[in-house]
Amino acid sequence: MDTHQVDTPTSAPTSRRALIASLLAGGAAVAVAPFLASRASAAEATPPMRDAGDNASLNADLEREARMAATYAIAVAALKGDDAAALLLIHDHHVAYAQALKGYLAVEAIKPNKAPLASPTGSFAAIANQLAALEDQTAAMHIDSLATIKGLDAAKLLASIVTVEARHAAALQVVAGAAPLTAAGN
Amino acid sequence: MNTQNTSSPISRRTMLRTSGALAASGVVLAACGGSSATGIARIGQTVTTLKLEDLVVTDLALLRTAMSVETMVKDMLTDSGVTTVVSAENAPILAAFAAGHTAHLAEIRTLITARGGKVYESTNEKLMNSYGQSALDLVKEGKKPEDAIALAHALETLVAGTYQYFVSLALEPALRAGLMRIGVTASRRAAVAAQLIRGGTAAFAPANDKDGNALVATLPGAFGSLSAVEVALGPVNETGTRATVLMDTPSLNSLIY
Repeated sequence: MDTHQVDTPTSAPTSRRALIASLLAGGAAVAVAPFLASRASAAEATPPMRDAGDNASLNADLEREARMAATYAIAVAALKGDDAAALLLIHDHHVAYAQALKGYLAVEAIKPNKAPLASPTGSFAAIANQLAALEDQTAAMHIDSLATIKGLDAAKLLASIVTVEARHAAALQVVAGAAPLTAAGN
Repeated sequence: MNTQNTSSPISRRTMLRTSGALAASGVVLAACGGSSATGIARIGQTVTTLKLEDLVVTDLALLRTAMSVETMVKDMLTDSGVTTVVSAENAPILAAFAAGHTAHLAEIRTLITARGGKVYESTNEKLMNSYGQSALDLVKEGKKPEDAIALAHALETLVAGTYQYFVSLALEPALRAGLMRIGVTASRRAAVAAQLIRGGTAAFAPANDKDGNALVATLPGAFGSLSAVEVALGPVNETGTRATVLMDTPSLNSLIY
């Protein structure tokens, strides 16, 4: 006859496990505490990814981009062929910048004033030169924002915008007839 | 069967509690202990291993790396392999581009010394070994005037991308602006070089040739790209193609700490 013996613990089965787990957790916490403390001090030097204090500056950048897009819309309407297509491409870039800034700011975004910054008129060269000057001013404005904003995500976004706006300015100057080195700013 | 259990004077729970407390207090004591080593081997003492140097990407490291990249680009644009193949029309433009990088070096020196750092006057050897020397060798081998301006376009795009990338690593907001003030000049030069390769408003947007190969665009995208800059250089090989050099912005393994 088989005899089955069942050991019935005198205490709840979870109590021993809980005891071991708590001991291990306590030991681990003591062991990693100095490491975590050093990490915490290092994290203090890391810039924030977002900062609410940047919103006013970024809203100004957003409005500038909206107004640049409106200015290009006037210029595109005044031109034809490749020239109109080229300015439409830059117009679309500015629309993308406004959308990116608006997306970043989300509910903090203002409703931007979309009044054109100028009414570019005259020959293609004259229009391109006016727009190149506006591109330079816009890039300078964004760089000034970079000097004050703390959030890293916004800084990265502005840097990626400024890099291309500098290209816009130089390219417009070249097609307007400026010497290469003048357009390059050398 | 009658089994009689006699309780031990030290219960299992007591033993676990005691040993756990001992282990925890041992960790505390070890953490409180000094780090001075006597050099005398003891039982239970393990040999201390040398920890790898903990390199931190500081603002000064970014500025020193920017100097190394500017030096590399200036050296490449003034390399005899490039200056001998460039067309007479474009030679003064490339010389001015190189002078622009010399001017950048002066600006960065000021930024470094203002922060109490040490300037770095050499080229970035890691980037030079990675793609710089290959690019120069291909230009020399190909002997094509258009390669000189294609190289300049790639290098200026690389420099602009480097400053754009460094904004994401810089801690000081004022320095981010300072980096971009330098970066936009490289960006302008890249646009001018692109127009020298393929001019006119039709060249603003990306396009392909009749064989489907991508042409150089003055405005390749709405936002600055941080991906590798690609440039075809050198002689046409037996398959009818040219070697492609990929130029990456400096990363953690090529920063000058």
